[in-house]
This record gives sequence, C-alpha cells and structure tokens, in this order.
Amino acid sequence: MATKEELLEILKDGVINYKEEEVKEASQTALDDGHTAIEMIMDGLAAGMEVVGDLYEKQEYFVPEVLMCADALYAGLEILRPHVPKQEGGSVSQVVIGSIQGDVHDIGKNLVKMMFDVAGWEVYDLGRDVPLEKFVEEQLRTDAQVVAMSAMMTTTMLGMRKVIKMIKEKNPNVAIMLGGAPVTKDVANLFGADGYAESAGNAVAEGIKMISRLREYEKEKGE
Amino acid sequence: MAELSPIERVTKFWNREPLDKPPFFSGMGMIMLPAIKKLGYKFPTIHRNAEKMAMAAIESAKMFNIDAVSVPFDMCMESEALGNEISLYEDSEDILYPTIPYKKWEELDQVEITQDDIDNIMDKYPMNLLPEAIKIIKKEAPEYPVAAWQLGPFTQCGQTIELDKVLKGVFKQKERVETILDQFSDMIINIGNALLDAGADYITLREPGVAADLLSPKTFKELIQPRLTRILAGWKPPKVLHICGSTDPLVDMMWQCCIDSGAQAVSFDIKNNLLESRKKLGKDAIILGNFDVFKLPCAEETTVEEAIEAIKTNIDGQVDAVWPGCDLWPDIKEDNFRAIEKTVREYKA
Repeated sequence: MATKEELLEILKDGVINYKEEEVKEASQTALDDGHTAIEMIMDGLAAGMEVVGDLYEKQEYFVPEVLMCADALYAGLEILRPHVPKQEGGSVSQVVIGSIQGDVHDIGKNLVKMMFDVAGWEVYDLGRDVPLEKFVEEQLRTDAQVVAMSAMMTTTMLGMRKVIKMIKEKNPNVAIMLGGAPVTKDVANLFGADGYAESAGNAVAEGIKMISRLREYEKEKGE
Repeated sequence: MAELSPIERVTKFWNREPLDKPPFFSGMGMIMLPAIKKLGYKFPTIHRNAEKMAMAAIESAKMFNIDAVSVPFDMCMESEALGNEISLYEDSEDILYPTIPYKKWEELDQVEITQDDIDNIMDKYPMNLLPEAIKIIKKEAPEYPVAAWQLGPFTQCGQTIELDKVLKGVFKQKERVETILDQFSDMIINIGNALLDAGADYITLREPGVAADLLSPKTFKELIQPRLTRILAGWKPPKVLHICGSTDPLVDMMWQCCIDSGAQAVSFDIKNNLLESRKKLGKDAIILGNFDVFKLPCAEETTVEEAIEAIKTNIDGQVDAVWPGCDLWPDIKEDNFRAIEKTVREYKA
C-alpha cells in the first residue's frame, strides 16, 4: 500500500508530466485509503501545478504542455473535489468568469478558471462569446467578489471597458480582473481594472490580492 | 521628386527605390468607422458583400490618406467555406467581428479536408467574394495598391477545430496535426494565388497562433517554419510574414522564412523588442509593425501629442515603414489618426 507521501508525489508528478490515468488511479487510492481529499488536492495536484507554473515562467513549458497538465489536474480534481467538506459558517469566495462577446477563444479563461477551482473558489463560468450585460447580471445575482474577463483579440477587448463601467456603477466594490493576449498592464489601467493577469499562473495570486484590498477597503469604510 | 501615387509609392518601397515621402500602409485590416458611416453601411454588413467590402476599404484609405486598400476584414471566411456557421452579430450596436461559435469538427480525427476543398476553395461561398472585391477596388481606385492577407496553417487550423485540441495535438497526435497543417498549407497557397491573380499587389501571411507565448520556439522550428516557408515560396512577391504576440524568440526564424521563400519583410506587434530585432536581423531586413493599433489611434485618453510621440518612437525603433502591428481598431479618433499620418510623412522624411 502506498504511503500518503508516495500518493502525493504520484499526484504531483502526474500533473507535471501530464499522466492523467496515474492521477486518476492515485486519487481513487487516496480516498480508498482514507486520506483527506483537500490535502491531496493542495499538496498533490496544486503543488504539481505550481511547478508547472514555474516551468511555464521559465519557458520550459508552453501552452500545449500546460493544457495537458490541466487535463491531468482536472482528472484528479473530479474524483477528489466531491469529498472536500463544505465550509461551515465561512463564506466561499466567488468569481464570475468568461470570454467577452465577440471572442470565442477560451484557453486562457479555462486556465484561469482552473486556478480558481483549485483554490476552492465558487466559479460561475459564463463560457465564451458572453454578452456584456450578462457579466453584470451574473455578478449581481451571485454577489461575486471578483469578475474575471478574458479576450484573445484586440478587436474584442474593448467590450471589457464597458463591462467594468457597468459593474462599477452598480457595485464599486467588485474587483475586476482582465486577461488575455492583447491585454497589457496599460490597457488594464486604462480600462479601470483592479487586476491584470498576463498569464494564468498569476491570476489567482492577483485575485487573492484583490480580495485583501477589498476587505481593507470595507474595514476603512467601517471605521 | 514629383508626388507619387500610393501604388507607385508602395511599389517603390518594396523595390527599395527612392520615395517622395515615407509610405503609411498595412497588410492587415485597416477599416475605419467614419468611412463606413459615410457610406451609410452598418459594420456587420461589410464582411459578406463584395461591393460593400471593396467600397468600405477604399473609402477608409481615401478618407485617412492611407497608401493601400486592404481586404478582407475578418478571419472566418475559410472556415465558413469549409462548412462552419459564423456569427455576424447583425443585431449588435458594437463593433464585433465575425466569429465561429461552434465548429463542426470536435476532434482532430474528425477533420476531413478533401482535395476538392483544397483545389476549389475559391468557388465556395464566401471565398468567392474576395476576388470580386479585389477587382472592384482595382476598377474604382486604380491609384491604390491592394493588400491581401491569409492566416497561416496553424491559426487556420484553430479556426476550424478548437485551438486547445490543436495545441495538445502537437504532442498527442503529431502526425495527424502535421497532415492537417499540410492540407491547410496547400489550401492557403491556392487562396493566396487566387487573390494575387485577381489583382492584389502584395500579400501578408499572418500566423498569430504560433507566438512564443503559445508554442515553444522548438515547435515553431520543427512544425511551423517549414510550412510558412513553403506557403510564402508558393506566392509571387511582394510578401510579408506577420506574427502577433511574443515574437522576440522567433525573430531569426521568421526572417529565415523570408530569406528561404523570397519574402520581403517581417512584421510584429507591440510585444516585439524592435531595437533588439533590428540588431539581430541587420539593416538589410525590412521590419514593419510594432505600432499599437488601439492605444494610439483609438483610446479616449490618448492625446494627439501622445500619439505623435509614440509614432516617433516607432520610427526611431527603426521600422522601415510605419505599418500597424495588427488589424487597426475601426473606431478611431480622427484627430489622432490624422496626426499619426502627418507625423509618418514628415518625421525624419
């Protein structure tokens, strides 16, 4: 029987080297052996993805490799996630995410979504080619703290600016995250976004920073 | 020197002959909303009507003193000709380019490109509109050169089946991906030749799907470079290779494609380090692009002075001609755009 450490290593290595079947098998074994699902996710799958992020940053991995690693991660997540107990009393962070209207590309959006999934956020994925108003409606419906939008083409990123304006008018405390190939830091600043993710790897870090900023803001307001 | 017509100026530019003034032109979409409005057209209607496409492109060039007329404007025509449905967003008030919401082939194994598709793609709607549009431009505006463009095989593959399947296929189904890329390469050569035969004066091969933030330079060298070279070699000059996104690690390989195929120039977007690229390629290479197609001519906050300064930086960055680094965003600020054009003509002329 594999030890906990061995299973964690199999999960981590399986994500790094995109071994979907081994990840599935180790995930099931971990549950059968009574190990904690959340530990397997965070110290196995997520730890592997962290290495993948480093490999991507160092340009040893590129998007095809990251996509295959993501497939392996999701293969494990699907088995382990249903066994993570719901938080009692504490609120789970929520994000509304989608590719902007006119853009049918969703690779970047799906990678960012994966990061939120791993981090345990409640993700409302609107898909791609999402009408601008839908982002606003979904944020109001779910009261999500973060709205994340992606555009792969210059010709579609302008819609983001309208969404930001509409959301901020209704709820100035929502943190807005932008990402995608044509989105530069300048563009994010120009559009009034709170965060900017040039790669999927830093999206969750940006999201967490934004939540902290939001809480600080709320605290200051209350004082 | 006597004033040259736009077609004379651009032709002399490609031939590296003396010019009356620096050219200002593009090999990609350069359609302007004020021109479309003047003609009384709605944006969604100019993509699938040869006359509207031609007239909108001509009016854009004339209204803003651009040295070329460029068609088409969207990237879905080939995919539509292969049987995919597109969205034209006819009810939207925003500027939305056509997209392919769903693709009929979900997996690489389902892709079936026939020899008839490759040989007779120009007979299929909407590809048959393009030669017609080019002929209208040649008749209505003979003083302008016509710019045509084609997507590269990898990007075109991503317009036909989901890009993530193609990207993963590079590792998981390499032979299958290579076969499909070869089929698309044959098709793209045929389309380019049909556009040149119809009267296009130069052609740009655009392959944004292979930028170094997506694919590794190693994959580019093995999988993409030979095919881009083959396509470019299949067309008559002048011809340009353009890649959007991260191109710094690809600069040498892109230029090698040009050398091996007889292409004239490389073109980059704003993510390229232009000065470094010039150092790598030397003074003989024609380098174009690196001009921010949104921030300079369109962003509300960009002042005329800022736009002028940015164009000066672009020229100081040693481009051989100011040429937008991608499709120009149509909703331009007229004052900014006119100032950009004036600066191009006068600065270091």
